[in-house]
Amino acid sequence: MQFLIQWSWLIPVYGLVGALLALPWATRLIRQTGPRPAMYINVVMTALATVHGALLLQAVWYTGPQVVSYEWLQVAGLDLSASLDLSEVNLIFLGLTAGLSLLAQMYGMGYLEKDWALARFFALMGFFEAAISGVILSSSLFSTYFLLEMLTLSTYLLVGFWYAQPLVITAARDAFLTKRIGDVLLLMGLVVLSAYAGSLRFDDLYMWVKDADIAPVAATLTGLALIAGPTGKCAQFPLHLWLDEAMEGPSPASILRNSAVVTCGAYVLIKLQPVVVISPITLDVLIAIGATTAVGASLVALAQIDFKRAFSYATSAYIGLVFVAVGTEWPGVALLLLFAHAVARALIFMSIGAVVYTTHNQDLTELGGIWSRMPATTLTYLTGALGLTGVLPFGCFWAFALGIDFLWADHPVLVGVFLLVNFLSTLNLVRVFRLVFLGKPQVKTRRTPEVGWLMAVPMMTLSIFVLILPFGLRQVSLLPPPEYFNMAALALLVGSGILGTGLGFYLPLNRAWSRSSVAPLRWVQDLLGNDFYTEKLYELTVVRLVSQLSALSNWIDRYVVDGAVNFVGAVSLFGGESLKYSASGQSQSYILTIVAGVGLLVLMTTWTLW
Amino acid sequence: MPLLGALLISTWPQKIESDQVRQGALITLGVNLVMTAVLVAQFDITDSGLQFLEKLAWMEPLGLTYSLGVDGIALPLVVINSLLCFVSAYISHGVRRPRLYYALLLLIASAVAGAFLAQNLLLFFLFYELELIPLYLLIAIWGGERRGYAATKFLIYTAFSGILILGAFLGLVLLSGTGSFDYDPSLAQTLTMGQQTVLLGVLIIGFGIKIPLFPFHTWLPDAHVEASTPMSVLLAGVLLKLGTYGLLRFCVGLFPQAWMALSPLLAWWAVVSVLYGSLAAIAQTDMKKMVAYSSVGHMGYILLAAAAITPLSILGTVLQMVSHGLISALMFLLVGVVYKKTGTRDLTVLRGLMAPERGLPFIGSLMVLGAMASAGIPGMIGFISEFIVFRGSFESQAPQTLFCMLGSGLTSVYFLLMINRVFFGRLDAAPDGTGGTIEVTLPKVSWRDRIPAMTLVLIIFAFGLQPAWLTRWMESTTNSFVPNYVNPVMSIGEASGGTLNGISNSGAIAKVSSF
Repeated sequence: MQFLIQWSWLIPVYGLVGALLALPWATRLIRQTGPRPAMYINVVMTALATVHGALLLQAVWYTGPQVVSYEWLQVAGLDLSASLDLSEVNLIFLGLTAGLSLLAQMYGMGYLEKDWALARFFALMGFFEAAISGVILSSSLFSTYFLLEMLTLSTYLLVGFWYAQPLVITAARDAFLTKRIGDVLLLMGLVVLSAYAGSLRFDDLYMWVKDADIAPVAATLTGLALIAGPTGKCAQFPLHLWLDEAMEGPSPASILRNSAVVTCGAYVLIKLQPVVVISPITLDVLIAIGATTAVGASLVALAQIDFKRAFSYATSAYIGLVFVAVGTEWPGVALLLLFAHAVARALIFMSIGAVVYTTHNQDLTELGGIWSRMPATTLTYLTGALGLTGVLPFGCFWAFALGIDFLWADHPVLVGVFLLVNFLSTLNLVRVFRLVFLGKPQVKTRRTPEVGWLMAVPMMTLSIFVLILPFGLRQVSLLPPPEYFNMAALALLVGSGILGTGLGFYLPLNRAWSRSSVAPLRWVQDLLGNDFYTEKLYELTVVRLVSQLSALSNWIDRYVVDGAVNFVGAVSLFGGESLKYSASGQSQSYILTIVAGVGLLVLMTTWTLW
Repeated sequence: MPLLGALLISTWPQKIESDQVRQGALITLGVNLVMTAVLVAQFDITDSGLQFLEKLAWMEPLGLTYSLGVDGIALPLVVINSLLCFVSAYISHGVRRPRLYYALLLLIASAVAGAFLAQNLLLFFLFYELELIPLYLLIAIWGGERRGYAATKFLIYTAFSGILILGAFLGLVLLSGTGSFDYDPSLAQTLTMGQQTVLLGVLIIGFGIKIPLFPFHTWLPDAHVEASTPMSVLLAGVLLKLGTYGLLRFCVGLFPQAWMALSPLLAWWAVVSVLYGSLAAIAQTDMKKMVAYSSVGHMGYILLAAAAITPLSILGTVLQMVSHGLISALMFLLVGVVYKKTGTRDLTVLRGLMAPERGLPFIGSLMVLGAMASAGIPGMIGFISEFIVFRGSFESQAPQTLFCMLGSGLTSVYFLLMINRVFFGRLDAAPDGTGGTIEVTLPKVSWRDRIPAMTLVLIIFAFGLQPAWLTRWMESTTNSFVPNYVNPVMSIGEASGGTLNGISNSGAIAKVSSF
């Protein structure tokens, strides 16, 4: 047992080692074997991390939470140490992310088997996995930031995996820059906290918050800076653009991005919540961000015609609910929702990946009638949908129910947000299900064989997990017994789900005219389809501002600063040219000038004596 | 120890008649590197003062003595100098007039090392000027198209900076009434505040030109664009550090009171420099110019940290000097390879160099790493140096620090733009002149071009993951650099960190200040 705990620092290292070992193949130093060994190495490494995490969970269950610290840098009064907090919750979430990563990598073995850069993909996945598990276990804000940035980097590289495509280039750029905005703000918060509190370990910060006397304005700014990081990571308004563009990347990475990565960001937020309470305004901002994203992204998702994007917006919406839960100080709800959402969302993205793999198409208007040809994929999609919606008692149902129950008395509006998200997301799931799986086969979906076992096994494994999740939750008594719940709340929840399902089936869907012919409806559709024109808005504001400023400074540089320099140069050259004609060659006048000059100097230096 | 400089000076005229000049230079610089390593090994990290002092009387009546010594601030810079000089000699091959070229290169190596080690104001000035002429010639003879303009601009600017520095040194020594130019922190104690401020102002402008700080920076992009790759590596990696080293050693070291009084203004100056440099970098279309403007931005952090004058921020300045030296050298190396293989550095022309087999995927990957290091992604040295700079500066210059952090965000903007444009996308087929196209296949990058860049990347990672390997050499010096530092705001926080840090002075001071 002690042995496992002592070596727990290996958990983030496994993925890193896998990534490093894959480098000879990724850089094509080894060509004889093909890229597959790199793939196997990384799957084994992730499996090791998962198993190690599971064993640790078992150990910690009996011994209680453990903290393992490592000195990293102590210099000039600044103490930066990395430490891992082996608590039950952390380890459960480690199990979740590592397990999902393992399944996604197995899935990737099938999905990318024909890609020439397979080794690079797996190296990046290993790196990705290392950063995620590190963030989950980390018990200091400093190491969390350290790893979050590694996550940003690996997201950039994974989104930019197929770097020859123009859309991928902008997607990778936007993913990096929007996250980077959040990260730089988080870094500011980090520096401020480090200066005020002296330590960046979460425990010390929690202690410090209790009796910190800090000006309200400073507290608010610090709080806002702290939540900016998770806002960017979780693709929340206003930093949500990247997730939808990131869907240009390979599907196995999309699975992780929509489940594990956003979970990671929200998990950091939950860890920060006891610090953020230092400013009540920040909590309100959290609720506002969460509610705006939840409703807005759910609506936007409805108008998407790209298979993956329809659900990437839904991911933002669900994490928005997590933000609401954190803002109202119900971390239990947030954790449950995160967990249930992550597994079900991963399942949805696995089925999407299977369809995209088989049809080489992710345009919803060109898909249809797949259910009989790809039964396993259809089942996967349905299971994922069950896990995500609050109709039947699977994963998210309980999370929603708990949330509504807790918010019932104090925040009726937020209860409405929960119900609306449930309604809209059910509607969206049914809409997409009808378009892709039901109906007649389309031109591009006539020949659609089921995917191979490398992809099917992870899909089935996760489906079973989603189905048994409620029993598992009951087993570890994370769920209160059903009679405890407010029946009115449950009825409303189920009602909103059923309404969504019904409307989803009733809604007329026409593939040929996916853009409505009714003018007001078309306007709304365009508005939603273009994400409320957020991208345009950014282009007109932030991007334009920066580019104008940079053009301005370049102009100043070229014409004002350099202009002045060149002007001085030109004047002195010109002066020299013209002065050379004034030299007469008479030595008397030279001597006279020198004597006058020296006299003047003597006069000036001895001025005080006079 | 000061044999090091002497050895170089004595060996630089060794001109073997043939192409073996390069090997001669490499061997000389290799020996130099080894000697530096020996120096590092013998360095006593617990001693905050000067070590290996060497003093020879030279021109006593002038107050000029040949006195050299090394402490925790100079040591890392000397190491960087030895390393990068070796690298730039390694990557120069097939140059015209090799004898002159390598002789000048070696002269620069010894002059810069001498300047870092000099413990006499006049001696520092001599070395400072000594480095100027060879670099002028190296740019003017081996540079690009507009090399004459760039080299002259560089010469005038730097000579001007030298005059200002000399003036300030002379003024200081004359006013303080001592007959010697030996470095002595108490030199300015007897001066009135007004005199100190004037002298300090002159010195700051002098070093500000060299660093360079806005608005004295325009020589740098021109010089970089026209200089050959090895010269750019040296210029960005080592020579700019002379300015920041001077700032730290002579401005902060000699005029602490006046510096304290000016520090908020200086920190705002740093903000302007950082933001201006970063914004100007975004607008550049030449890869080298972009990296050059990024230098303007990153050197601004050093001014910020120096202005903040806390033990942590002073450590940050040295760390940032090392980190910028390594990272900018790496970037210039890589840009150099791209230029060599494609014949252009124009961002509007280059596309898709990441393409496997036909492009430069390996160089592209290293470039991504370099850009990320520069943008301050953890795991690489750029992060920890920027973090320490910001963390240290926040204690005394809070708003300015936050503004400078924006520059850190902008860094990722321009380097990302560069990578996206140059390395991502499709490697287009070039027109063959008859209406058809030919597939572009860039020549393979030889290991000779890869090894120096890989070495730098490894060093950047090693120190990024284990910064303690680097900070241990500097810490005792930088801690004692701010002798009567009392943390004004955060004394409680400092104490909790300080108690763990029993060996250092600041630990003791922080403990005292909390009571």
